[in-house]
Amino acid sequence: MHDVAIKSKEVTLLEVLDRVLNKGVVVSGDIVISVADVDLIYLGLKVLLSSVETMEQLRAAPITGPMQEPK
Amino acid sequence: MTINRVVETDFPEEFIEEMGKTDDVLPKKIDANPENVEKGLAKLVLTLIELIRKLLEKQAMRRVEAGSLSEEEIERVGETLMKLENKMEELKQIFGLKDEELNLNLGPLGDLM
Amino acid sequence: MKLYLYGIIDSSDRIKDSIYGLEGASVYNIPFCDIGAVVSEINQPIQGVTEGAVLEHEAVTEKLMAKFAVLPVRFQTIIDGRDNLLSMMQSYYKDFRNNLERLRNKIEFGIKVIWPSDKIKEHITNTYKKNDKKVSISDDSSNKRFMRDKFEKYELDEGFQAKADKFINVMDTFFSKFAAEKKLKKLKTEDMLLDAVYLVKKDDLDNFREAFEHIKSAHAAFKFLFSGPWPAYNFVILPKNSNLLKDSKQENLFDKVIQHQDLVGANKI
Repeated sequence: MHDVAIKSKEVTLLEVLDRVLNKGVVVSGDIVISVADVDLIYLGLKVLLSSVETMEQLRAAPITGPMQEPK
Repeated sequence: MTINRVVETDFPEEFIEEMGKTDDVLPKKIDANPENVEKGLAKLVLTLIELIRKLLEKQAMRRVEAGSLSEEEIERVGETLMKLENKMEELKQIFGLKDEELNLNLGPLGDLM
Repeated sequence: MKLYLYGIIDSSDRIKDSIYGLEGASVYNIPFCDIGAVVSEINQPIQGVTEGAVLEHEAVTEKLMAKFAVLPVRFQTIIDGRDNLLSMMQSYYKDFRNNLERLRNKIEFGIKVIWPSDKIKEHITNTYKKNDKKVSISDDSSNKRFMRDKFEKYELDEGFQAKADKFINVMDTFFSKFAAEKKLKKLKTEDMLLDAVYLVKKDDLDNFREAFEHIKSAHAAFKFLFSGPWPAYNFVILPKNSNLLKDSKQENLFDKVIQHQDLVGANKI
């Protein structure tokens, strides 16, 4: 059940990304400072999507053993 | 009136997989390497040749379907198509291009092939 | 002042609800004639595309959708100052207005369908094998065998495409009853039979959903995805590369050249 929840979140994100990154009004010209440069952040997205899963897993995992002191 | 947006499916994993196969949502990284300009030209030329080859093949198949080719004609067309196909494989290998790469995206019209 | 743009709405009024966008900034409406640009002020440049920012952006357009007709803007569109924003509104005014009129009270739904392409192909191949009228090519040479194999592949592909057309037609007929506009993609991959978006009137929301449920239950072997309501991301029609913005910049350069000539004397060119 937990796994389905993660996957559902991921498919929702994909649907949102498809719309906000590829569709909608595109304003161009010199007045625009920044528009999401999708091509360059492709790798970032792949990492992002797998990180959603990792984060969920980390949250679910119990913390065992003594807490380490930061160096 | 608040409308709540949903993304509903009983098979999220399958859809994630399929959506990842085309570069719609997650576009492929642009290869800005100047060495690949040559490859780009080869890609274009070979794509067009592939298009013509596929059209010729389809034409031949239509005639086979209609029964309008004699045994001898089938033999000859077969030989020519086979040679063409082998030649294309050779060229693809020489330029290090895969089948999926030999396509053109025509924007709203979709892909060429 | 950097303005993050979320969407264009069909109102020049203040937004009454408290809406917050990226960086937790307040979202407000900058009016232009009878429409408005919904923005928030932004300070830090966005570090690429993050899940948080994307969902925050989408949440804003959805809140707007409840009260206004919205033209959703692409993610991470940041305009350099209020003046530039207003000149943009001026350039695009007619296009924005036309779209807002057309899209008022309409919402977007997405439907994706996965079908068992392997099973479909199996079925087609079996059907062809049983068919008495089938074309037969003798296999007494390598060329003929090549043709025979090619022909079998051709028949399979034609059958596959025809099956896809048939199913899509049935589904689309049902969905279109309640849709003002639609965009269909057939066989994006072999398994993704249909990737469609429909523009539905708000009043027809329930009917559309019902049509979907009906189709879903009628195709138990297929897998369905239903998403929405969305603002009309796929149905905004704008001319590509409006030259108005480029022209205005050239005009400024031209003015500057004239000014320069005035300063140095018109004879020196």
